[in-house]
Amino acid sequence: MSFRKIKERIMLGLIAILALLSAVPIFAIIFSVYFEGMKYVSLSFLIDLPPPPIGDEVGGIGPALAGSLILIALALAIGGTIGFFTGLFLSEFSHTKLAQQTQMILQIMVEFPTIIVGLFAYAVLVLPLKRFNALAGAFALAIVIIPYIALNVKEAYKSISFTLKEAAFSLGLSAPTAYLRVLLGAAKSGVLTALLIGMAKAAGETAPLLFTILGSTFTYFAGLDQPIHAIPLLIYNFALSPYERWHQVAWGASAVLLTIILTIFLVSRMIIRGART
Amino acid sequence: MSWAVEICDLNVWYGGNHVLKNISLKIPKNVIFAIMGPSGCGKSTLLRAMNRLLELNPTAKVSGQVMVDGINIYSDKIDVTWVRRQFGMVFQIPNPFPHLSIYDNVAIGPKLNGLAKSKSELDQLVRWALEKAYLWDEVKDDLRRPAAALSGGQQQRLCIARAIALKPRIILMDEPTANLDPVAAMRIEELMLELKEDYTIVIVTHNPQQAARVSDYVAFLYLGELVEVGETSQVFTRPINKLTEKYVVGRIG
Repeated sequence: MSFRKIKERIMLGLIAILALLSAVPIFAIIFSVYFEGMKYVSLSFLIDLPPPPIGDEVGGIGPALAGSLILIALALAIGGTIGFFTGLFLSEFSHTKLAQQTQMILQIMVEFPTIIVGLFAYAVLVLPLKRFNALAGAFALAIVIIPYIALNVKEAYKSISFTLKEAAFSLGLSAPTAYLRVLLGAAKSGVLTALLIGMAKAAGETAPLLFTILGSTFTYFAGLDQPIHAIPLLIYNFALSPYERWHQVAWGASAVLLTIILTIFLVSRMIIRGART
Repeated sequence: MSWAVEICDLNVWYGGNHVLKNISLKIPKNVIFAIMGPSGCGKSTLLRAMNRLLELNPTAKVSGQVMVDGINIYSDKIDVTWVRRQFGMVFQIPNPFPHLSIYDNVAIGPKLNGLAKSKSELDQLVRWALEKAYLWDEVKDDLRRPAAALSGGQQQRLCIARAIALKPRIILMDEPTANLDPVAAMRIEELMLELKEDYTIVIVTHNPQQAARVSDYVAFLYLGELVEVGETSQVFTRPINKLTEKYVVGRIG
C-alpha cells in the first residue's frame, strides 16, 4: 500500500471516530437520565405532590407536570398563532421590506438569551400584578418559540409549488381562504412540524420561567394570575437543594421531561417521513 | 357580434422587463381561441392577464383594458375574486391539490365560493363536472382516493373538472397537454371540442399543429407583440405576416 493510501485511510478513520464521538454526549445524557431517573417514575409519580425533603414518602411531580402542560398549551396558543401568521407573511410577502426586516429580527430572536426574555416578562407582567403568575411564564415561553415557529412555517409555505398556489387563487378565493383553507393542507406537515418544534422548545426552557412563575409546589393550577410550576423549574430547584430525596425527584422529573421531548421529536420525524412518501 | 373577452392596448411589465406590448384582440363566444408562439413570447402572461392571476407575481405591472362581457376587469371597482370566478383555469403541469381526494378537488371551489347550498347539491355538481370532463366513469367508485393516485391524463381531466365546477364563462388552458402522453393529450383535445358548446376556451400552445387541430381562431405572439390574429384556417393557409408563415411551417419557434 502506498504512503498516500495509508494517509488517506488514517484520515478517514479519524473522521469516522470524531463523527462517532459527537454522538456520544447525546447518548450519554439519555442513558444517564433514564438510568438514574426511571426507577422513580410511576403513575403516582406523575400525579402526586412532591415529597417533603426528609423522610420516606416517595411523592411525585404532579403540579410541575400539570403546570408544564398548561404552560405549553398557553405558549402554543399565543406563540403558535402569532408565529404561524408571521411565517405566512414572511413566505408570501417576502419581496416587501417589512418581511425582510421581520425575518432579520426573528433570526436575532432565535439567538437571544432566553433569560432576558424572562426578565422582560417579569417587567411587563409580574411587576404590574405584584405576583408571579402563569400568564407571565406562558408569555415568556411564547416569545421564545415565536421565531422557531415563524421561520419553520415560512419554509412550509415556501415549499408549496407556485402552480399549486396559482390553482388555489384561480378558484376565485380571497387570500385568507386560499392560504388557510386550501394551501394549509399542502403545507400541513411542515406547519405541524413547526408547532412541534415550538412545543419541544416550550417544554424544555427553564430560564424564561425563573423570574415569572415562582413554582407553586403544592397546587396544580390556581388561575392564570397565580404562580404555577413547571418540570424544568422543579429540576432546577430540587437539584440545587441539599436533600437526597429531592435529588431523586429531580432525576425522575428529568426522565419524564426527556420522554416528552423525545416523543415530540419522534412524532415530528414521523410526520416529515410521512410527507416524503 | 358579442365578445367573450376584449383586450385593448394591454401592456405587461415584470419589473423593468416589458413582456407584452400593446396587445389588442377580441375573442368571440363559444369558440376555441388559441394563442401560439415560441417559448417566452408572453403567451402564458397574456392568459394570466385575463383572469388577473398575474397579480400573484409582485413585480407584474399591467396597463390597458380587458373587458369580460363589457366589464373592464382592471377597473378599481371590480373585485379580483369575482374576475377569477369568471374563468376556469387549467395549467401546464396537472396540479390537483395533492392532499385532497378526487371528490374534494372538484368540490372545494364551489364549496368555498358558496355555489352549492346543500351536500346533495354539491354531490350533484361534482358528478356533473366529472362527467363533463369525461372522468366520472373512471373514478366514480373511488371518489375518496387521493387525487395524486391518478395518472397524468386523469389528473389533467380532474383539473378541468375542478375548473368547470365553478361554472365559469371562459376556460383558460395553459399548454394543457404539454406534459401528457399522446393518447392522454388526444383525449384532452377531444374534450375541448366538447366543452366549446358551453364555454369559450382560450388555449395557449407552443405547438402550431395543436392550434391548427383544435382552434377556431388563433393569435400569434412573438417577442411580446401580437403579430397576427384571425380565423385559424386563414392564418394557417394564407398568413398575412411573413413571420407567421415562418412560424406555422416550423422555421422559427
